[in-house]
Amino acid sequence: MVELSRRSFLKLGAAGAALLTLQGSFSSLTAAKELTAGGKSVSPRTKKERQGIPSVCLQCVSGCGIIGYVEDGRIVKIEGNPEHPNNRGRLCAKGQAGINNEYDPERILYPMKRVGARGEGKWKRISREEAYSEVAARLREVRDLGRPEEFAFHYGRNRLQDYEKRFMYAFGSPTILDHTAICEASKKVGQELTWGTDVDINDAPNSRYLLNFGCSIFEAHVIHNSFAQRVVEGQMNGARLVTFDVRLSNTAARSNEWFPIKPGTDGLVALAMANVIMREGLYDKEFLDTWTNYPSDKLAQHLKQFTPEMAEKESGVPAADIRRIAIEFATARPATTVSYRGACSHENGAMNERCIILLNAITGNVDVKGGFCLPRSGKTKGAPDPKPEKPSVKSVLASPPDYPLASHAANQLVLPMIKAGKQKIKVYMTYWYNPAYSLPDTDLAMEVLKDERLIPYFVAIDAYMSEATALADIILPDSTYLERWDPETAGAYSLVPYVALRQPVVPPLGEAVPVRDMFGELARRIGGGMEKYFDFGATEDYIRVAVLENKGLAEAGGLEYLKKHGAWYDKSKKPDYKSYAKPLKPEELAGATVDANGYSIVKTDKKGKKQVVGVMVDGKPCKGFPTGKHGISGKFEIYSKKMEEKGFPALPTYVPVAAHRKMKDDELILTTFKVSTQTQSRTANCKWLTEISHDNPLWIHPRTAAARGIKDGDTVKVVSRLKSAVTRARVTEGIHPGVVAFAMGSGHWEYGRVAGAKNFKSADRDTELIWWEKHGNGVHLNSLIPVAADPVGGGQPYMDTVVTVTRA
Amino acid sequence: MAQVKYGMVVDLRKCYGCHACSVACKSENGVPLGVFRTWVKQVEKGKYPEVRRYFLPRLCNHCDEAICVKVCPVQATYKREDGTVLINYDKCIGCGYCIAACPYQARYIDPVRKVADKCTFCAHRVDQGLVPACVNTCPAQARVFGDLNDPQSEIAKLVATNAVQVLRPETGLRPNIFYISPDVNAMKGGELAWSRR
Repeated sequence: MVELSRRSFLKLGAAGAALLTLQGSFSSLTAAKELTAGGKSVSPRTKKERQGIPSVCLQCVSGCGIIGYVEDGRIVKIEGNPEHPNNRGRLCAKGQAGINNEYDPERILYPMKRVGARGEGKWKRISREEAYSEVAARLREVRDLGRPEEFAFHYGRNRLQDYEKRFMYAFGSPTILDHTAICEASKKVGQELTWGTDVDINDAPNSRYLLNFGCSIFEAHVIHNSFAQRVVEGQMNGARLVTFDVRLSNTAARSNEWFPIKPGTDGLVALAMANVIMREGLYDKEFLDTWTNYPSDKLAQHLKQFTPEMAEKESGVPAADIRRIAIEFATARPATTVSYRGACSHENGAMNERCIILLNAITGNVDVKGGFCLPRSGKTKGAPDPKPEKPSVKSVLASPPDYPLASHAANQLVLPMIKAGKQKIKVYMTYWYNPAYSLPDTDLAMEVLKDERLIPYFVAIDAYMSEATALADIILPDSTYLERWDPETAGAYSLVPYVALRQPVVPPLGEAVPVRDMFGELARRIGGGMEKYFDFGATEDYIRVAVLENKGLAEAGGLEYLKKHGAWYDKSKKPDYKSYAKPLKPEELAGATVDANGYSIVKTDKKGKKQVVGVMVDGKPCKGFPTGKHGISGKFEIYSKKMEEKGFPALPTYVPVAAHRKMKDDELILTTFKVSTQTQSRTANCKWLTEISHDNPLWIHPRTAAARGIKDGDTVKVVSRLKSAVTRARVTEGIHPGVVAFAMGSGHWEYGRVAGAKNFKSADRDTELIWWEKHGNGVHLNSLIPVAADPVGGGQPYMDTVVTVTRA
Repeated sequence: MAQVKYGMVVDLRKCYGCHACSVACKSENGVPLGVFRTWVKQVEKGKYPEVRRYFLPRLCNHCDEAICVKVCPVQATYKREDGTVLINYDKCIGCGYCIAACPYQARYIDPVRKVADKCTFCAHRVDQGLVPACVNTCPAQARVFGDLNDPQSEIAKLVATNAVQVLRPETGLRPNIFYISPDVNAMKGGELAWSRR
């Protein structure tokens, strides 16, 4: 082949190009400028373009746009969807390994009925009809006894947009149980009590300073990839990233500064910083005095007690650094805090969150470009009318009375409460939920799930033989997320709301059924009137109507647009900051009055329920902040009346973790984390992920290890007040000397042989190539962690367990 | 202007070690368990609390003076005009000379087909106008692929405006993977590529 420059090639014109194409070198000469990223895939074998179906990932909850590429009816590749505004065509390791979940050779594809003792592992395949009839008969029995609340539905990963509520309400049961409290419930509650919404969007690309308390942005986050890629963008634009974490996470590693911190003291460090900012006069007086419910002078007075020296004593972070970082944060506007489980997964989690996000208010970084922003999400409507009413009967499992502010419940308490007889359960139905593995005190969880007196009938809707599903009486095979419909939307990192569509990339395998369809099938068999709520045709048809809530999308073609593009947003729209300061229109004020507090604008609905619709600011009615699940005032509530009413401190303050006050010298704090290549419990069966992350040695500091005669790779015994377990040590400089940590996601005793590090023969050749058998599959230490709950937020304190570690 | 010459820049100011690339490659190329064509090496350095972790994505360097091409007794490994080093699997006898010769540990014997294999720069994608799978998926956009000989290309601009480094320049093989802002500790010593531990 002669050498041709681009210019001379272009001169050749069309005829020359055709000739070169025939010679097969067209691309090697011209492709450089033509190369595009994504939106297309070719078969390496046939060179033909593959059929690409846009959808939404559900390997984790982030909701990234994907394109599933299909060849001969099989998904052969999953890539990011370039038209999705959040992840912008990029997809993490987990998302791409979704194929492994679809084609897991041990996936449950048929209804199964237990034939041995519960948990014995003996199953019989039954027909769909038999399965539905049996479950429906059991449920009918519960209802006929007049105690519908004894039917509990407990979900893990759920993106059904309240469709499960339709089923449960139609049945008459309020016992709908979630999983949020083993993740970030306390963060959500801390936020809801302060500014009404339950999630913050940190506008990283435009930020100058990211002050991070306990979030490993680069390994896990509720909208992980979309946020992480923008943090990199922000860093490339010159933003500083400062991380407080007990461990050198990949985020700490990529931060300008990493401060190891004693678990549970993040809130205090934030308060000390707030104190410094007030004292130095670097605060935003106007924001504090206008948009919060606590005046700046009184706040300054309150914060005085939290000195950097006091914070150093408790947290181990040097006072000088606290002072310096506080001043940097306050002067590098725009800036934002970032926080996650490192801060909120403690018994003082919700309070920590309130202390941290206070920093954004003090510095006037709330909902500004580059700051700490309110979430913007698209709209979707639920399934069509008629809608069932919420049952009047109460469930203590769903709303634990001892945790009145826990608006995301306390699911870790569900099985212990059943054991304690707080609520009787006749039928326990799980949906993609694995309490036997993912809860604290897994021994207790197993004990309750195995006990047929406590749980007389256990139905698992699942596609995998999880630790909990293995204890079920009957299994209904769930379709994967690649086989089902859901309208989707999440906080937009572009700060312009979007709507996306999860649509089937392939039809369900075997006899798997999307859970939405299962509800209809069961409702029709249970009968008694509940079937009328499911009488509206295919799911696709209801989504067709649901997405029309977004005017621009309706104009663009509605569902047909989403089926083709995967996601929609108004391309002409720019981010709209400081939405709280928007004036209210006269029609929005009709019939409104000002509340006794002097600023909340209140409307009373037909049922006599008061609702805050805005706030008065300088005599002008403005939109204000969301009021959220707790119905707060519409201002940024530094002073929480709701907390005060329930006997908690109204102002952000330091509440030490009780168990950490009386630790002995040889005791350590056990914490947990996630790696970027596993989720907490749902991906260990994915061969590509588990090949990379198959075990989870316990991180321990060299000094701590040396004092115990522990060397890297040694077997160690970890003892908590609950029990002991043996694992392997990873001696690393990257952890606080008073802390040991293990990654979630490993150490499965069910979930199939890929998760179990067992080589086996299957239709997939790769299962014979599992090479990490000799390394084992790690040790899951949840059995050592006692069940507890943050009294405010309800969250499980995963980062508070006191343990000893010795050489085994 | 010269012939197209493909290369890759890996911007270590951006990489956060997520392994999206490692999995994209497995998926795109049907790479069996037990071997990797691309991998993110992680190195921890320093003493607490002044400790850092560095990430170093690794793949075939598609060297100008590809030693693998030279040592192959049956001419199975060859270099395309666009610089991509490829293997003719029908010719390969699986002798492993190339694997021993490669200073980057970029090659392996495929456990199923028993022939040498490695990163192809996703030639099948590039030929259809698509960037390699790892580049396509990288959340941080740390990987940039393109024509090193085209001064207008993003990659050429990055190479021209940054102090880029290559791995093991002393070998004289003139590799075509350029790293921006690498840490010297991550570049040197130990396993460069993936290993079973």
